Amino acid sequence: MRKTLLTVMLCGAAIFATAQTSLKGILLDEATNQPIVGATITLANQNISTTTNQSGEFSLLYLEAMDEEVIVEAQGYNGTIELVSLQNGQTNQMDPIKLSTDLATETKEEILLNIADDDLNDDEGKSQSQASASSASVDVFNSTISYAWSTARYRNRGYGQDQETVYINGLNFNTAERGTFSFSSMGGLNDASRYKEVTLPMEATNFTFGGLGQSTNYLMNASRYAQGWKVSAAGTNRNYKAAVRATYASGPLANGWSFIGQIAFRFSPYCKQIGIIGEGIEYYSLGYFFSAEKVWDNGNRLNITTFGAPTMRGQNGAVTQEVYDLTGTNYYNPYWGYQDGKMRNSRIVKSLDPTLVLNYDLNINDVNKMKFAAGYHYSMYSNSAINFFNAPDPRPDYYRNMPSFLWDGQIVNSNSEQLFDEKGNHYPYGLFIGESLNEVPLGTGFTGNDGQILGPSIDPHTYNTLVDAWKKRDSKTTQINWDALYAANHANNINDPEGMARYMVERRHNDIQEAGANVLWVNTQFDHLKMTLGAEGKFSQGIHYKTMDDLLGGNQWIDIDPFADRDIKELATNIGLPQTAMAIIKQNDLVNPSAKVLTGDRFGYDYRINIGTAKLWFQNEWNLQDIDVYYAIQATYTSMQRTTNMLNGRAWYQEMMLAQGMGDPADQGKFLGSVDVFNRINDGTITAGTYAGAQHHFIDPAFKAGFNYKINGRNRLKFNALAETQSPLARNAYISQRVHDRAVDNIYVHDNAKSLKDYFAASEKVVGGDLTYEFNYPIVRGRLTAYYTRFWNGTELNAFYDDEARTFVNQAITGIDKRHGGVEAAVAVKLGTYFTLTGVAAIGDYRYKSNAYAVTSAENGMALANDIKGNPVLETRDTVMLNGLRIASGPQLNASLKLSFFHPKMWFADVTVSYYDWNFMSVAPSRRMKGLYTSVRADGTEVNGGYFDAIDGKPAYEMDNMGNPILDKYGNYQLIYPYYLMDQQESLSATNPLNRFMIDFSVGKLIYLKNRQSLSINLSVSNIGHNTNFKTGGYQQARLPRQSVQGAKDGENSRIGANAWKFQSKYYYAWGPNLYATITYKF
Amino acid sequence: MKKIAIISFAVIALAALLPSCTPAEPSADAMYVNESQVASIIADGKLFDLNEFKDSFMTDTGNFCGPQLYRTRAHVGGMDYLLFSINTLPTDGDGIYVRGRISTDDYGGNFYKSMVIQQRMPDGTQQNLRISIDMGSCNGLYQMGQEVIIRCNGLALGRYANQAQLCVPSYNNNTLANKAEEKSGWAPGRIPGPMFRNACTLIGTPDVSKLLYDTITIADFKDKTDQDAFRDYCVYEDARLVVLKNVHFTGQYENNGSLKSCNVYDPNASDKTIGDPSKDEYANVFAPTTNNMNFPQGRVISDGTDNTIVSTSEYAKYANFYLPADTFIGEVRGILGFYEDNGKNVDQYGIDQYNWSITPRGLQVLDTKAVNDILYDTNWEPQEWSKEPAEEAADEEGGSKSK
Repeated sequence: MRKTLLTVMLCGAAIFATAQTSLKGILLDEATNQPIVGATITLANQNISTTTNQSGEFSLLYLEAMDEEVIVEAQGYNGTIELVSLQNGQTNQMDPIKLSTDLATETKEEILLNIADDDLNDDEGKSQSQASASSASVDVFNSTISYAWSTARYRNRGYGQDQETVYINGLNFNTAERGTFSFSSMGGLNDASRYKEVTLPMEATNFTFGGLGQSTNYLMNASRYAQGWKVSAAGTNRNYKAAVRATYASGPLANGWSFIGQIAFRFSPYCKQIGIIGEGIEYYSLGYFFSAEKVWDNGNRLNITTFGAPTMRGQNGAVTQEVYDLTGTNYYNPYWGYQDGKMRNSRIVKSLDPTLVLNYDLNINDVNKMKFAAGYHYSMYSNSAINFFNAPDPRPDYYRNMPSFLWDGQIVNSNSEQLFDEKGNHYPYGLFIGESLNEVPLGTGFTGNDGQILGPSIDPHTYNTLVDAWKKRDSKTTQINWDALYAANHANNINDPEGMARYMVERRHNDIQEAGANVLWVNTQFDHLKMTLGAEGKFSQGIHYKTMDDLLGGNQWIDIDPFADRDIKELATNIGLPQTAMAIIKQNDLVNPSAKVLTGDRFGYDYRINIGTAKLWFQNEWNLQDIDVYYAIQATYTSMQRTTNMLNGRAWYQEMMLAQGMGDPADQGKFLGSVDVFNRINDGTITAGTYAGAQHHFIDPAFKAGFNYKINGRNRLKFNALAETQSPLARNAYISQRVHDRAVDNIYVHDNAKSLKDYFAASEKVVGGDLTYEFNYPIVRGRLTAYYTRFWNGTELNAFYDDEARTFVNQAITGIDKRHGGVEAAVAVKLGTYFTLTGVAAIGDYRYKSNAYAVTSAENGMALANDIKGNPVLETRDTVMLNGLRIASGPQLNASLKLSFFHPKMWFADVTVSYYDWNFMSVAPSRRMKGLYTSVRADGTEVNGGYFDAIDGKPAYEMDNMGNPILDKYGNYQLIYPYYLMDQQESLSATNPLNRFMIDFSVGKLIYLKNRQSLSINLSVSNIGHNTNFKTGGYQQARLPRQSVQGAKDGENSRIGANAWKFQSKYYYAWGPNLYATITYKF
Repeated sequence: MKKIAIISFAVIALAALLPSCTPAEPSADAMYVNESQVASIIADGKLFDLNEFKDSFMTDTGNFCGPQLYRTRAHVGGMDYLLFSINTLPTDGDGIYVRGRISTDDYGGNFYKSMVIQQRMPDGTQQNLRISIDMGSCNGLYQMGQEVIIRCNGLALGRYANQAQLCVPSYNNNTLANKAEEKSGWAPGRIPGPMFRNACTLIGTPDVSKLLYDTITIADFKDKTDQDAFRDYCVYEDARLVVLKNVHFTGQYENNGSLKSCNVYDPNASDKTIGDPSKDEYANVFAPTTNNMNFPQGRVISDGTDNTIVSTSEYAKYANFYLPADTFIGEVRGILGFYEDNGKNVDQYGIDQYNWSITPRGLQVLDTKAVNDILYDTNWEPQEWSKEPAEEAADEEGGSKSK
């Protein structure tokens, strides 16, 4: 903290009728002397603050004359506190305040953007593990955790990404379909994402109503950027290996215009080396950003911004612990293989999201301002994957290709109950009973220690041969064998030239185009009151289809569904019709059946989700002496409709079953959109075109309020509360949106509502609140927050292969209730001149608060059960035992200690030690259906084999002496070993506490050159402690191991086997030491 | 300085290669070998004829474990013959190679995780070997007509129900199986997919025209009562690809040594389960339900010289198709086998004559992908069982009319 001498200028003639005490100053970038815009200036003792304008200037009026501390905070800069002695009745003019760049922030921002990229690991862009919001702010907690906790995939308060709102220049960019923002659209453009306004959860914002989570508004207007050139080059050992960037900003010109442009190029060709980060991945991304702004003398401004980042990159995937252990590396990637000796990845993402935003700020007068924003973006996002027909699964890590598959549950009969490897993980393989069996008498059948069913056992030599192939990374075993896929297609071209290729690579497109506009009106005509009225509208269209990417040498693909083709006989038997009558069921496009698909053709599905949204919100904020109070109200209108250009045979089949009297007659028309379409298919008059499904409309209210009590200039108490309803996101609304129009049941209840309760049957209800104590002293500052949020009636969709029914099923789960509660704490202490010690912690408890309700249906329409009369049941309904389980959304216990060093000679360094715990994996609901425990589902249908009869016909759970199941406090059954491994929620936290720590380090230097040029060199190393036992995410597989009971009657011929390791969970691990080195030259 | 920086950046950005386009197809050498390369493949060992291979490595008692540990044996002519046994093949040492052309296809649903390779001998005869692989739809990679060469080191040659097959040792521990107490024990098991892919190399592209079909009569194979021939058959004659001519279906099934008529569906009968293939295991279709016993079903054919069984799995695509009426006379093709797994009172195997069966590769009923092995040369139109009377012409495009 420095004291500066002040120069007090006495005004000769008072401008105002009465002399008042005021303070003025200007804030500049130390290196470039450019003004710093949007910084916060606070007077510690007088509870008053303001922000710097476009010229970096600030002024505070009507002050008390006293000694004062001026707290200066600016994003991207190291803040400061200046001492001032305010002279009564005078305009106190401060010397220019110069702030130095926060170098650490610059480096780490780029790393954060990378993590967001890596997370998009499946074709729907759903994150297996989700990055924390890429939004640092001057809040001690946020600015530390944004970088430090991103490795662990920490999620703010455990909320889903859809609770965080992202705006760009005041326009909302959460996509309507998923509610999330794709950071990869700003790929590598660190200048585009440099400036932002961040509002903490639930607090009043000045650009939107906000919500439960953080609200971030990226500010990309050109006048914000300091004039000059900047070029940088970076090297890293992450998914891409090098990056180059160039930026030019004109700064504000004399004619009022400003311009900025940035290009960023990140790349990595295929690396021949395996067992490293980015194994099997090539990466190319070119980002562009351009903004032009005109500012008029009256303060009106017009801004146009555009950006995009065409990207092509390979992907990695989660694998089982067995695969990690056998290959000896956390970087094993199952998606690549050799093609004629060259590396090729099967999962290539191509994305480009060109975006355009127009803004106009209108100063009507001193007390009325309006902001207009309009924008458009077209996100083209596609992902490739191998598909196959009448051929073996090409995945190298397919469970049947693994050594563990070779003995089916044998571990139960080993001498030790459970084996752990040196990492503390279950080790279900590596021990078997083969050798000792050579002397066992014929007819000996082995069961587990408690009578569990075991399967066959392989001999040691065969097992070891396969293990050795994995350990040696024999590429024909451990990777995709592309040459064999081509050979299969060549052979097929000879034997079946008009038929379907055996293998191909398809590209699944999930595009979105959105056009939005909003208007903001701010009125400050009343003292101490700021009124904001906002209106937002957006039209969003999700565009989903598949194209043929590569036929792999095959002549063509035929557009039918391979699984429906496989299941046709059973489907026919279901209802007693011949297969020829069912042939229609395998068609993806009934107007163009069995179409030949060549490279580039669309096939499979081709539908749109059209969503219209309109919001109207109103906010009042009172800024009084000691307290700020606000409240806000919002109403949101949402309409949703699916249209399709391909009518699907499975949709027809569902309608046909209903027409035959199976199922609820009220469901007729829900699959194809209307009964008329069904009839036209049957009479052969259906033609090509776009077919619209039902339209669903929702109105959702929201209300929030809060206060900010200024105990004094240094201490505050803040409270926020929010209550709202949220209509279901499109991705959760349709049971099987690729195939048909059927929505989740409660949406139809809403559509036909006759009461308020019915009207909100489909919406999720949310109530939350938080209380914060904040303190800001010269030596120490920070905050302590407690929060609590309840969710009711959420919806989730799952799809998986059901081993009992032996077909793919869709599962819609509704009535999901959750509770998120916890505390956040942050303290930053200055230790002397150069060092700062920061501690942050977030401890939460996020759980499901009740069981939920699942409706399960086969995607091909197969009956999943029979009712009491023996009639086929197409949709089974059952309770999902979720009560008491933790929500899988990152670690719930996080703590970090960071020591930062900053030297006036522009060196910086910091080291951060973080600890993570209470990190849980999501549970597969299919393993926790109540019918598996009780033998009867909620709808009365019987379950064919479950935990209730797994051990020789008896239950595999704890019972009391009376034969009743012993339940835990949440009402859950207690399965015995090894069955509890199937239904238990798994912890991602390492068994060894030392493996729950992560250490990060960064160092940097800024060198000032002549003519205002500078060179900065930064190096950031994450996980310098080489922790390779840190799981960042994963999922439990939905399938359960099953055995058939030979000779038993239908409905009793399946049992759950004891091999809990047959369908092992899949994990992601944090990378080992990974570094990012950048050199930046400004001129 | 500025200019250098700008130009350098531009050069770097443009110099970095644009994303690669669709990769070029692999060369033929990467996908399969040609005839001239076979010699170098077998240079470290010997290429055996299939019968020679079985002769050399399959013993009467197996070598994997004590003979008393194998399940099920036949008592033939006062002696015990093992119906199940395993001979493991050396891992190291000289290479052991066999070669043949794939004569089976799994699309029809009658061959599951197994295939047969056929070796065409210079004298026009065929030798065959069954291969058991743990790979669903294995014919996707190993298509009918494809010639392959297999390095057998580290695998095993087993006898399963008296049928020789390339396999690995596996302990059958299915305690839920019917008669598990007799079956639990060591038996030939399926070769893990990755192991087989490493062992097997494609030679050229497939040519189904090079498969040899032996035209024989049913009497030719039924009329063998000598117990030595019983063993010889296993080694030398199993899995032949044959054609039986002048065949008709008798409308019967084999019932423990006697023949009984299949049940015909009568919609007017009071008990509607009779003849319904989902409920009646003797329905007049190729393979009705086995009530979860999962064995292939036999339907009797006669060629005027004798009877035998056409064997069909209930998972075959044509399983629910009606048997042709006995007025249709034509040819049936398939893999001929003698499956003997219970070994009771087999003094001469000819008594258990319905262990002989011919397993067709398929029947073309829905599309042209399946091999057409049953009465393909007649004007018989296969018809599938249905609850509805077969009045509506159901076609692929329009589906059936709704009620």
